[in-house]
Amino acid sequence: MAVQLDGGGKEDLKTQFVTREGTYKLMTLSEYSRPNRVGYTNSQGSASVRVSFVTLPDPTDPTGLGDRMCFNFGKELYVYVYRGVKKAVDLNKPVDKKLYKGTNPTCHNFNQTTATADSAPLLVGFSTGQIQLIDPIKKELSKLYNEDRLIDKSKVTCIKWVPGSNNLFLVSHSSGQLYLYNEELLCGTTAPHYQSFKSGDGYAIYTCKTKSTRNPLYRWVIGAEGCCINEFAFSPCGSNLAVVSQDGFLRVFQYNTMELVGSARSYFGGFLCVCWSPDGRYVVVGGEDDLVTIWSFHEKRVVARGQGHHSWVSVVAFDPYTTSYGDHDPDFSGSDDETLPHNNHNHYHEKANRLSTTSQGIHSNRNSCGSELRVSGGTCYRLGSVSQDTQLCLWDITEDVLRQPMCAKQRPSAAGSSTLPTSGTVNSGNGSTTNHHLNNSKHNNLNNINCKENASGNNDSSNNSMSTNTAVSTVNSLTQRLAGLGFGERKGDNHKRNFSLTMRGSGASNSTIIQNSSGDKATTNLNTSSNLNSVSGSLVGANKKVSSVMDDPMRLIGTAWCPRFDECPVLEPLVCKKLAHERLTELVFREDCFVTACQDGYVYTWARPGHMVGPLTISSTLHRPHHHSNPYTNINSLRSNDL
Amino acid sequence: MGANISQLERDIGSDQFPPNEHYFGLVNFGNTCYSNSVLQALYFCRPFREKVLEYKARNKRTKETLLTCLADLFYSIATQKKKVGSIAPKKFIARLRKEKAERSQSKPTGGKCGAGDAGSPPEPTWVHEIFQGILTSETRCLNCETVSSKDEDFFDLQVDVDQNTSITHCLRCFSNTETLCSDNKFKCDHCSSYQEAQKRMRVKKLPMILALHLKRFKYVEQYNRHIKVSHRVVFPLELRLFNTSDDAVNPDRLYDLVAVVIHCGSGPNRGHYISIVKSHGFWLLFDDDMVDKIDASTIEDFYGLTSDIQKSSETGYILFYQSIDCN
Repeated sequence: MAVQLDGGGKEDLKTQFVTREGTYKLMTLSEYSRPNRVGYTNSQGSASVRVSFVTLPDPTDPTGLGDRMCFNFGKELYVYVYRGVKKAVDLNKPVDKKLYKGTNPTCHNFNQTTATADSAPLLVGFSTGQIQLIDPIKKELSKLYNEDRLIDKSKVTCIKWVPGSNNLFLVSHSSGQLYLYNEELLCGTTAPHYQSFKSGDGYAIYTCKTKSTRNPLYRWVIGAEGCCINEFAFSPCGSNLAVVSQDGFLRVFQYNTMELVGSARSYFGGFLCVCWSPDGRYVVVGGEDDLVTIWSFHEKRVVARGQGHHSWVSVVAFDPYTTSYGDHDPDFSGSDDETLPHNNHNHYHEKANRLSTTSQGIHSNRNSCGSELRVSGGTCYRLGSVSQDTQLCLWDITEDVLRQPMCAKQRPSAAGSSTLPTSGTVNSGNGSTTNHHLNNSKHNNLNNINCKENASGNNDSSNNSMSTNTAVSTVNSLTQRLAGLGFGERKGDNHKRNFSLTMRGSGASNSTIIQNSSGDKATTNLNTSSNLNSVSGSLVGANKKVSSVMDDPMRLIGTAWCPRFDECPVLEPLVCKKLAHERLTELVFREDCFVTACQDGYVYTWARPGHMVGPLTISSTLHRPHHHSNPYTNINSLRSNDL
Repeated sequence: MGANISQLERDIGSDQFPPNEHYFGLVNFGNTCYSNSVLQALYFCRPFREKVLEYKARNKRTKETLLTCLADLFYSIATQKKKVGSIAPKKFIARLRKEKAERSQSKPTGGKCGAGDAGSPPEPTWVHEIFQGILTSETRCLNCETVSSKDEDFFDLQVDVDQNTSITHCLRCFSNTETLCSDNKFKCDHCSSYQEAQKRMRVKKLPMILALHLKRFKYVEQYNRHIKVSHRVVFPLELRLFNTSDDAVNPDRLYDLVAVVIHCGSGPNRGHYISIVKSHGFWLLFDDDMVDKIDASTIEDFYGLTSDIQKSSETGYILFYQSIDCN
């Protein structure tokens, strides 16, 4: 337990790391920062460095250099051409650069819907509450909203265009309010007068009471008064909105009807960040409990927690490009840089058309949202998270873990603190759901048995899954992709290792796994959660004085909102890597890389396996052939350099 | 000073000012800021304040102890006519100095420990009721695999700090398994000899008020002195413990941060102590005789520094977390 006074020296910073799909490598040439690095000192207390991307649709540009990247640092905002892993950019030639006085940019968002080859509307929110709309390419555009701070004086915490909209955008403030603006409307010269529009448990929505329509169109007040909204995220289909706040709540709304459809509570402390799984079925939140919490949209409950960070989790993001893989070496956990997998192989979900990737690519899968899950067997999600602990964690989350019912551990005090039914108290009665779960669990079991039989022959199973993956990578639709990935290549023991459940009580993990195969239990839990919903539903519209379950964190513990720590699976990260000396503040997964940003103002690009660019491979990588055959040579040569 | 005091009332707003609450600074008698900061933190641990005032009401004309001096001081603050101001804890400091000289063991947290010890007969007192928790240390002999466990009381947890971590993480590390070997072997009753063993300490009984003492002053052989560890350690306004034992009675106990003693400066032998406290939903900063209302967002200024260059820092030193089920 010795404390290192140097706090972990520079020697343990990672510039590359290995996961089961291969080696990720820091592209030092693709490092972005302020052009003049002098004076990069005091980052204490300044706004987090965030990064926004836009892909300019320009079919005439065969090089695919249509990406622009924006980041903020201190009082400055920079927009650069982004070339991913391919090429360095002259930092002295930004597309646009802004220096603000008396305020800091805190967040920004490009409008992917209206972006053209020579226009990219960019919203910027500020620490003093104002909002600016600029076009870093066209340059002439500059509109201000909340200029005189009549609408809200507090810091803008998150700003996003409404998905698919040309002119509507949503802004959250640290005052706990969320506003809908139309970029074409004025904000008025007086403070807005509001009238109540809708209210529910823990939120209220107002409209502006004026003759002519003005901004803001709607004002959402979420949580207790003055309770900071830290981030919000639209579901991939755009119809649901997840909001996380300093009061430790995740609240998910049906965006159009403005109904609260579900919520969750942190284990403790505020929730800081939120994202949706690419298929819209799970919401993941990170927060001040150092945990990554996974919430099921369909079951309306916390289904798992991830423990691996050493401090608050600042960003969570799904990696839509790494949805599955085959692993055949039980001894390889992907956690050691010095280990190279024996049967390492990569697969990429390459798309023929580059423009359909990045954010647009994800949006194109919106048809999958909201529909009842049809995925059989195990989808495996890849999640990433970065934290104030300067580390990146990657998580592999399989559906079988997420489907485990809440396991109420026998404990003397468990009954006393909650008046609500927990799992196991309601009998199953929902036929269709039961069947569904039974089918799935049977399917899983069969597969697991098959895997065990295969366990002795590593090479065989490796070949098997290679072909599986190749086949999968040709499927374009994400849903299909998710659905197509069977459990076939995963072995029971291996599974345990990589998704180990660190249950508190010894032996608890065994019983959990047994429960997992019971379809009845899962249905029981569904019923439970719907009961809980009806409880909260009955409180909708009630006066705030009425004691709501939501107001009392001690009544929430042990429920679907906030299971006890040993009541839901605890996941361990696949890898956990220290990437910087300062707090990490951003994480964006892209097709050929992922991007991290750091509190000290640096934006780093990490090449995915097979996408590394060495001095000799630039030309080949520019055209990016399918790499299924050649990444090994790359990795090996890089490794020998490294050692 | 007068301007500052009325400023506080203005900041809070006269209609918002909590009834029956007093925000009084404590005059510094020269190097007494460590005591002032701890006194303020304890005063705003409501269960503790209430018990001290109860004690004051119960015990008239007893022999002067540190506890009677503390009770007089708390009583004097609680019965002030004005809502804000400053007060000189003259008697308490005199008594504290006297007892310190007598016992010649000095600790920055002397105020608290002194108060607890002075009034506590061997049987449990209300100080135990508020601050006492139980740690259970489990030791597994690596020779015979026998697990033996031993309980011990604690009034605060002293935790090592790591750079860029949270107090949650530091507490988890506190309960990491350590191997007892070489000079530090474990005397196994079963084997009747010294054996290598694995040991971990976890919390079995969670106290009503959890006092966390961050070990920010570290002896470094190289310099032959204690230096300050300014590592950035974030502490949430709400806390649950991960390092509870399997047989813990109430492992889900949820805590609210109510007070923080802060060390300002570059080393253990210089610098200044202040405290921030939560009272009726807002945060106040007590700097000896000065009291200011602060925004909750400024608490992050007291997490520490991410840079390892030694310089002056204002860092959380003692954290007081109060269980939300105690009121």
